[in-house]
Amino acid sequence: MKKILGFVIAILFLTSCNSEDSEMLAIDNPEIDLKIPADFPELNAFVSQNKPTQYGVELGEKLFSDKRFSADNTISCSSCHIQENAFTDQKTQAVGIEGRIGLRNTPSIQNLAFMKFYNWDGSKLQLETQPLVPIITHEEMDSSILEVIGKIKDDASYKDLFRKTFGDENITPDRIYKSIAQFEYTLISANSKYDKVKRKETSFSESELKGYQIFQQKCASCHAGELFTDQSFRNIGFPLNTDTNEAGRARVTGVSSDFMSFRVPTLRNIEYTAPYGSFGQFSTLKSVLDYFDDGVLDADNLDPIFKGNGKKMPLTEEEKINLIAFMKTLSDTEFLKK
Amino acid sequence: MQNLKKYFLLSLVSLGFVSCSSDDNNPAANNVTLEFNNTFKNTTIVLGNAASTSATANTSAAGQAHHFSELKYVISNIRLVKDNGDEVPYSVNDLDKGATVIDQAKTASLSYVLSNVPSATYKQIKFGLGIKAEQNTLDQVRFPNFYAAAGANDTAMMWEWGSGYRFTKIEGFYDADNKAMSIHTGSTVEGTAPNYTQGVNAYRDVTLNLTTNAVVGSTAPKIKIKADFDKLLSGKTNTITLSTGTGMNDNATPNVHTAAQMVKFVDNLGGNGSSDITGMFSVTAVEN
Repeated sequence: MKKILGFVIAILFLTSCNSEDSEMLAIDNPEIDLKIPADFPELNAFVSQNKPTQYGVELGEKLFSDKRFSADNTISCSSCHIQENAFTDQKTQAVGIEGRIGLRNTPSIQNLAFMKFYNWDGSKLQLETQPLVPIITHEEMDSSILEVIGKIKDDASYKDLFRKTFGDENITPDRIYKSIAQFEYTLISANSKYDKVKRKETSFSESELKGYQIFQQKCASCHAGELFTDQSFRNIGFPLNTDTNEAGRARVTGVSSDFMSFRVPTLRNIEYTAPYGSFGQFSTLKSVLDYFDDGVLDADNLDPIFKGNGKKMPLTEEEKINLIAFMKTLSDTEFLKK
Repeated sequence: MQNLKKYFLLSLVSLGFVSCSSDDNNPAANNVTLEFNNTFKNTTIVLGNAASTSATANTSAAGQAHHFSELKYVISNIRLVKDNGDEVPYSVNDLDKGATVIDQAKTASLSYVLSNVPSATYKQIKFGLGIKAEQNTLDQVRFPNFYAAAGANDTAMMWEWGSGYRFTKIEGFYDADNKAMSIHTGSTVEGTAPNYTQGVNAYRDVTLNLTTNAVVGSTAPKIKIKADFDKLLSGKTNTITLSTGTGMNDNATPNVHTAAQMVKFVDNLGGNGSSDITGMFSVTAVEN
């Protein structure tokens, strides 16, 4: 009995020693200061509940490029969200494991911290709830969060990062979702020529300036503000995806006026995110502008901007050239580099 | 040591009590079996492919012939109501223990056994068609068994894009030329009840009066529940005509029934929550 008591006391002693140690070695994991560019919209309200930290972001980036997230270990988040293409993949529709074709075009994932809606249909309002979707979708990674955790749980580098980020080595679904979101919150693109012109560090060429002026007249009511999207959902008469699972925003809201409406995409880094449209209908910016000029598909809920204008947005060839020149000033080449 | 003896004695005594009560003619609890009979009107449905001659055919109020090749739905949030009005919840916060997928292709799934239901006389049953928003998150850690059952390849009751479960999944054929029909329902709500920030709540709470009281005690009653899928197209709330295509009003394949058109099917199957709280369900018999 005495022996046991002695043992217990010894353990208690060791334990208290340990806890003192860990306090002494408390990890410094500073919050990252998100440098919010001038005139950007407010942060998504959920960012304040999951503020990026140094190790959280490092962990998120590592998870983002880990192929063990897919059932056959062939695909990571970064397989489709490729940085040099402004985190898109140059494919009409995303390609998952075994070459499975997804429903929609891979969206760029810059400036997500400032977005109110995620995905083409705005199905998600909080970034932390998004990573589960590709993990479990048959046409994407076709895995499950516990399968992923099973594969990475013994990885020493992960244990280290989870400890540094969250205080202990436990790998949980929530921690995975949070760290991926933290990494994504830091992907801010605001150093294009357009931004530099705004900061009066440089100036537009003549063609870019003309393009900017046409843009203000004909495009900026939807591609509004510093994100170049007003984050509304609109049916602008693009060719329809006939996949029976596609209904645009309507499959989320159940509102028929949202049928085949999609989120107005940002135009930042648009030079690198071809093909364009919810399922990559257009291979070039020119072909998008030609389509507007020729006339779009009619629909009951066709956006008033087109409905009231004979389903068209007439543009001369010169205007198209200038518009494209302007759109290329939204390219942020530093953002595309590691 | 003296204490230990006391505890030992106490344990023996309580063991004695336990064994006494289980020998009793009036146990504290017993099973209740819910037996689902999926029908078109009064005929139990036989599934079949497009060319099947054995599949049960039905004709809607709008005159459309149809039959099913697949028929599944989720039951959760089960509550039994005593004759004094008290509600007895059955693992309502645990999908692993209190929810199930009824699958017409799997006979075993048609009988769902509620275990350890407190002995009492019950007059009513309530349950949900689908899953309440708060539990409908595809949380594999919280409900691993239900997640596995619903996600199995031969079940496919998940809406991955919406991070939620499918509440009903009906595949079949309609009209003389056997066009495909594919009715899937599920919730897309974001935020918390009742002030959802966006989306459609496809969960429906169903209340059914028992034909005779179910007496749980020395007997383990069976409650027979009919789910009349004639109501899918010819319901109390909506009379639906199926049409195929990719337009806003086409509803036979998943494009729009995941949205505006979907609610019409949901209201027909599970009731609209106000004037209709039974939907397609009714209790046909209680065996005590």
